[in-house]
Amino acid sequence: MSALAGFLAQTPEKLTAPPIDYGATLPVLIIFGAACAGVLAEAFLPRRQRWSVQVVLSLGSLLAAGAALGRYATKDGLTDLVTFGRALAIDGPTLFLWGTLLALAFGGMLLIADRSVEPGGAFVANAAIRPGTAQDRAQTAGTSVATGMQTEVFPLALFALGGMMVFCAANDLLTMFVALEVLSLPLYLMCGLARRRRLLSQEAAVKYFLLGAFASAFFLYGLALLYGYAGSVELAAIGAATAGNDRSDTLLFAGLALLVVGLLFKASVGPFHAWTPDVYQGAPTPVTAFMAACTKVAAFGAILRVLTVAFGSTRWEWRGVLWAVATISMVIGAVIGLTQTDIKRLIAYSSIAHAGFLLVGAIAITEQGLSGTLFYLLAYGFTTLAAFGIVSLVRNADGEATHLSAWAGLSKRSPLVAAVFAFLLLALAGIPLTSGFIGKFAVFKAALDDGMAPLVVIALVASAIAAFFYLRVIVLMYFSEPAADGPTVTVPGAFTTAAITLGVVVTLLLGIAPTLALDWASVGAFTS
Amino acid sequence: MMWLPALLALPLVGAVVVAFLRGNDRMARLVAMAFALGELVLAAGTWAAYSTDSADRLQLTVSTEWIPAFGARFSLGVDGIALVMIALIAVLVPVVLGASWEDKLPEGRTVAGFFSLVLVLQSLMVGVFAATDVFLFYVFFEAMLVPMYFMIGRFGGPRRQYAAVKFFLYSLLGGLVMLASVIGLYVVSADRLPEGGTFDWVTLQRIAADAPLSTQIWLFMGFFIAFAIKAPLVPLHTWLPDAGAEAPVGAGVLLVGVLDKVGTFGFLRYCLPLFPAASRELAPYVLVLAVAGILYGALVAIGQTDMKRFVTYTSVAHFGFIGLGIFAFSTQAHAGAVLYMVNHGISTGMLFLVIGMIIARGGSRLVDDYGGVYKLAPVLAGLFLVAGLSSLALPGTSSFVSEFLVLVGSFPNQPVFTILATVGIIFAALYVLWLYQRVAHGEVRGAAMASSLGEGVNPVTGRPRFPDLSRRELAVLAPLVALIIGLGIYPQPVLDVITPSVNATMTEVGLTDPVPVGPAAQPGGK
Amino acid sequence: MLTLAQSAEVGTAGGLASLAWLLIALPAFGAVVLLLGGRRTDRWGHLLGSATILAAFAYGLALFFDTTGLPAEERTRGLTLFDWISVNALHIDFGLRIDPLSMVFVLLITGVGGLIHVYAVGYMADDVNRRRFFGYFNLFVAAMLILVLGDNFVTLYLGWEGVGLASYLLIGWYQDRPYAATAAKKAFLMNRVGDVGLAIAIFLLWRDLGTLEYAEVFARVGELSTGSLTAIAVLLLLGACGKSGQFPLQSWLPDAMAGPTPVSALIHAATMVTAGVYLIARCAPLYNLTADGRLVVMAIGAITLLIGCVIGCAYDDFKKVLAYSTVSQIGYMILAVGLGPFGYALGIFHLLTHGFFKAGLFLGAGSVMHGMNDEGDIRRMGGLARFMPITFATWFLGYLALIGFPFLSGYYSKDAIIGAAFGEPGWRGWVFGGAAVLGAGLTAFYMTRLMLLVFFGEKRWEKLTTADGRAYHPHESPPVMTVPMIVLAVGSVGAGFFLHSGERLVGWLEPTLGGLQEHEHGVLPHSTVLVLTMALIAAGVGLAWLIFGRRPVPVQRPVRVSLPVRAARADLYANALNEWIVERPGIWITRLAVFMDNKGVDGVVNGTAALLGGTSGRLRRLQTGFVRSYALGMLGGGVLVIAALLVVRYS
Repeated sequence: MSALAGFLAQTPEKLTAPPIDYGATLPVLIIFGAACAGVLAEAFLPRRQRWSVQVVLSLGSLLAAGAALGRYATKDGLTDLVTFGRALAIDGPTLFLWGTLLALAFGGMLLIADRSVEPGGAFVANAAIRPGTAQDRAQTAGTSVATGMQTEVFPLALFALGGMMVFCAANDLLTMFVALEVLSLPLYLMCGLARRRRLLSQEAAVKYFLLGAFASAFFLYGLALLYGYAGSVELAAIGAATAGNDRSDTLLFAGLALLVVGLLFKASVGPFHAWTPDVYQGAPTPVTAFMAACTKVAAFGAILRVLTVAFGSTRWEWRGVLWAVATISMVIGAVIGLTQTDIKRLIAYSSIAHAGFLLVGAIAITEQGLSGTLFYLLAYGFTTLAAFGIVSLVRNADGEATHLSAWAGLSKRSPLVAAVFAFLLLALAGIPLTSGFIGKFAVFKAALDDGMAPLVVIALVASAIAAFFYLRVIVLMYFSEPAADGPTVTVPGAFTTAAITLGVVVTLLLGIAPTLALDWASVGAFTS
Repeated sequence: MMWLPALLALPLVGAVVVAFLRGNDRMARLVAMAFALGELVLAAGTWAAYSTDSADRLQLTVSTEWIPAFGARFSLGVDGIALVMIALIAVLVPVVLGASWEDKLPEGRTVAGFFSLVLVLQSLMVGVFAATDVFLFYVFFEAMLVPMYFMIGRFGGPRRQYAAVKFFLYSLLGGLVMLASVIGLYVVSADRLPEGGTFDWVTLQRIAADAPLSTQIWLFMGFFIAFAIKAPLVPLHTWLPDAGAEAPVGAGVLLVGVLDKVGTFGFLRYCLPLFPAASRELAPYVLVLAVAGILYGALVAIGQTDMKRFVTYTSVAHFGFIGLGIFAFSTQAHAGAVLYMVNHGISTGMLFLVIGMIIARGGSRLVDDYGGVYKLAPVLAGLFLVAGLSSLALPGTSSFVSEFLVLVGSFPNQPVFTILATVGIIFAALYVLWLYQRVAHGEVRGAAMASSLGEGVNPVTGRPRFPDLSRRELAVLAPLVALIIGLGIYPQPVLDVITPSVNATMTEVGLTDPVPVGPAAQPGGK
Repeated sequence: MLTLAQSAEVGTAGGLASLAWLLIALPAFGAVVLLLGGRRTDRWGHLLGSATILAAFAYGLALFFDTTGLPAEERTRGLTLFDWISVNALHIDFGLRIDPLSMVFVLLITGVGGLIHVYAVGYMADDVNRRRFFGYFNLFVAAMLILVLGDNFVTLYLGWEGVGLASYLLIGWYQDRPYAATAAKKAFLMNRVGDVGLAIAIFLLWRDLGTLEYAEVFARVGELSTGSLTAIAVLLLLGACGKSGQFPLQSWLPDAMAGPTPVSALIHAATMVTAGVYLIARCAPLYNLTADGRLVVMAIGAITLLIGCVIGCAYDDFKKVLAYSTVSQIGYMILAVGLGPFGYALGIFHLLTHGFFKAGLFLGAGSVMHGMNDEGDIRRMGGLARFMPITFATWFLGYLALIGFPFLSGYYSKDAIIGAAFGEPGWRGWVFGGAAVLGAGLTAFYMTRLMLLVFFGEKRWEKLTTADGRAYHPHESPPVMTVPMIVLAVGSVGAGFFLHSGERLVGWLEPTLGGLQEHEHGVLPHSTVLVLTMALIAAGVGLAWLIFGRRPVPVQRPVRVSLPVRAARADLYANALNEWIVERPGIWITRLAVFMDNKGVDGVVNGTAALLGGTSGRLRRLQTGFVRSYALGMLGGGVLVIAALLVVRYS
């Protein structure tokens, strides 16, 4: 009795809420908030209104987040800080990555929102309908009532984005893992929502999901080992531990390896790239654009942070291995790309090659390496975004004509589209006067400065090889005669136009006057 | 003075304007020509503004902040060498436009498209020669590929796709190798400069010169490979015959006449002054390539059956002479090499144009399809011979002056190589005269001439017969002939512009002339 | 004394001489007008062409007498027109050197050239392109004058290849005759071979002396090492061989007869082909210092003069016989200048007289062929003396002069050379003297044969028709052609005596070539040499008459002939040699090079591309599309990374 009384008598100790710097984390909060709101909207609004509401909501939230970020970043006396109970590190790179993510996401969101290129939007009206059935044909044909699109895609995208933002700001591995899942799961879903070629799309979703889960497992296992090694999941703590202690390095390096494999998977670096071509090809093009641009940024943000903060002092042990990985990635991307016949797969392989180039910069643990890689991410993101935007325009009877043969003589059909695409391809090839060249230059400069001359030479040769398949597309578009029953080029609506324009303009600006962006990109190091 | 920025901007503006005239061919032609002539005037002004007796290595310099993060500035400036090349461009472009005036384009292609590409290319080429910031130079160097790629690929002959891609990739590969050296150069400078790395040519020249030999050799190789591909030295030349043969004649002239000179220009402006020790060290190997090119190029040229490929192979031989002149290290040889770059642009340009005119009439590139052109088109044949003679460096033509300077200047340092090269002039005579004999001499014969033998209309060109030169074609060739003869008899004005700069280059390489000054200062031979 | 004479201060040309550029400008002007003027100059083109040359000749004469007025040591004058090529130490003016030697050539070129121009007005009358012909002709004269007037080795080279171009254009004049084009190309190429020698000699001079001006070079020729002296001497000789059709580069000259006859007369007999002699004479100070060099020169001269005679005996083509005669006569000149101080002047002497009579002989030949429907085969002629008396008369005088008939031109010039050759000490005297005198005999033989077959004997042409079936109607040529022939005939007769008497020429040339030296004790006394020569000449004539004069000559050249004749008919196998040593291997090498370039060098390039493509195709199969295999791949990769890291760590 008394025991009970005693139990009842004791006063509960106070749970102290962790300190949160709302000013700094506002962008993330806005995005997640908007995402939740989006879900509610899906639940309560009538189908007709959803699309418009969702578009306003998501674009608005992106702008708001951007504004918040701007306000915080321009605040004078800005200092790096760790908040959310040491979960998030808000430092220079974080701010830059967030900015990049928001901008790219804005472009991606525009593509997702577009309903003019594909009547009713690129997304299936009702994903629950089995592909190939009568209803399915009806909804593809756009005859049935339900021709609108599955508007859940908007909140999903926002969740993914939020996940990415946390992912590259995470100050400890646990947070990072959670963020990884938060960004991945919505993407898996989004991949399966294509209106056309639904089987392909769903296959892609499943593949992505399975492999993603596999990768997460790697990550988690690595996390565990590292915890065992350092007794903490905090990056800084691990870094401190590596500095000097008597615990088994086996734990450390096995953990590092597994962790890195998880991250490299997300960044689609060879040899962990296998999912990329299939998923890029299968996913609805707007989603592919969103993934290709944003996921890369987030993943490399995380890779940079982990390698710098946690394993900076042991770089001499692991750099050699990552050299090899980068080489493999560049070679695989460049060489296999040569014989691709599908434009989306081709860009996928190009992204694998680019992942290799990015890694070259990332493993140079220097100011330059950091800023170079960040700039590269920005540049590459916009270029590839615009590229996929163009891909979504070239269509024939059953959706996008992604087979290269369909692109023959495009310059005759629509000079402008061909010109823009050619420009983007040259940017991907890294020809001067495009952002691609400046990016490559920055990364290679950093690498060479850090004594990685051989790797740089390999990278240069790889980019020479890779140039070939970009040229092939230009040859097709400009030097070949158009096929008789070639595809038509849809005149894009406001959204897609805006997205493409955004991408092209940025690509050009960063190519001619990159100074501003370069300064942003060199905003100091990660906190630890 | 804003001469150089103007030279850079004018053609670009022109290109944009012309691009918008794709509807109206006639207008497009006239506007393009107007801009080209305007550029010519500007170039003349620049020539006047350049002072031959000033001490500055680079003149008319302009420099503004560009990418501080890389230490790259937007800096322009010319020395005598760059100046004459820019003048060459300014002269050739109007000629090329005039020559392409009535080209039969592949269907779906517009004159406006071609002409605006020419103007874009012109602007970029000016940039390449005027850039005094290595980064900027590299940007132009690579960007230059794009318009030429489209010219060949869109307006070229049957195998244009293969040729265009081969050209682009080959050059790009070289360019990327050079990129490594460019960055390396920056790194070197960053180590030695308190204020961090730079791409400023003058500064780099000061720094790199005293970098250790091994470093110099690595960096030298990067630049050298790129330039050796551009100014094709054997065995890196095989892209040129394809590109040159498939390119439309106008583009071919610019390709062989100017674009490739960027390579030899690069040797003089970048390889020698930036890496003097490496240059001295590796010169013998380069000379082997150069002389091999002279003889090999000539031999292969003799065996060609395709007239356009023939021209490109003669160019390979000529580039050998330029290479010899550059790496034999004497002011005479250097001056000769630079003059050679100009004269080769003019004479080979003319040869290319004349052959283009023959092909336009006969509709075939094969030598065997022609014969007795002289009978039907004496003026055309005559000018063909003039171009040929200038190509074999007959005294009295401009090419002789440059070839003589190269050889006489190279001999004291490199007697063996020079003698081998001199043997090359026999081959030159052979390939030129033999081609001329087969095409122009004898009875009218050959498939391309069939129509002229009263056997109806030429199936290819649809022309009834093989006409002599039109007024337009005469007007196109006249200035070239004038230059060939004029510079052959009185080259001194050009030499006066070149000499101070090559003297400077020699000092930068840290060498002095093998044959110093004044007969009085001669040691007894015995 | 010699070098002194050479390095005599070059005074600056004033007064009349300051207009010396006219010599080149006049013909050049003519050439430009005629070549650019086009058809509208057709009517008066030939007149302008001739006029410019005659004007140049007139000025030349004036200048000549102007010069004779000066004391010997002031007769060498320079006129700098403009700064041609100069880079730092290398300084090349476009300058003229007016001295006795160049003046002699100026008069020869413009004089004989003028005559032949006039002759050509008639000869080319019915050629539609006569205007262009005169354009080329003027071009040639201009270039030739640059060659002899230039005051440094580069202007010499300019003229040197300039005349080569003119010769190329004129040999290939008959566009529709393939062999003409081939002959033209052959001439240009063999000349280029010589030019390479000349060029390298120039490079050597530049390296060792740092200058290319005659005055400088000759003043400091002593500084040259023996090695480079000999090298330069031989290389210059190579140049001379190319231009003057000397062994081993002689075989282009006969083919060059494919050009119109005036061309053969002016370029390939009187002037251009003697440029080699000029070159060596001009470089006398240099050759004076190298006995070895001179020996080579003499050897070449002797060999060539014999080759020329021998082949000359066997040919049946009117002009080709004369061509080989030219080859051998130039052989004499080369031999002479090879004798050095004992022969420079004699070489120039023979060059002048030869200029007269050989030009005359060619014009005569032209006149004959003109009257015989351009028939060139002497076996199809005969007994023409009666039909073209003037031609025969002038030709006969030329013939006498050439074989060295007493007191005609050749007698003085050629016999002097023979004498000088015998003057050489020891075996040289016997060898070279012997060659020279033997040559004299052979010359007499083949020239007599030529004359007999053309002008005497039965009229074989009566029973024959031309290839296109026209009958022959031999007739005398118009005055415009005969007058020049007459003038030249006069020259052939008188020039020798005129120039010989009172050592006119030798004395005149002294400031340039140094005085002519006499051998005190040669291997044979002069009188003996003279007798011997005369005897051999007589023998040659007699033998020829015995063979060709008494019995009828078959129209078909006999096939079954002795070995030497067969060899001679085949140019002593010179062409065969060229073909087997140069042409065929050349063709194979080119083919090989082309093949190598396409399959080898370019093969590597395309091969690399193909290789990459193939690899790509293979690697592509890894992308099976099965998740399981992807996962496996990831697993493998992961394992590798772990392993690698641990290995790195624990090694």
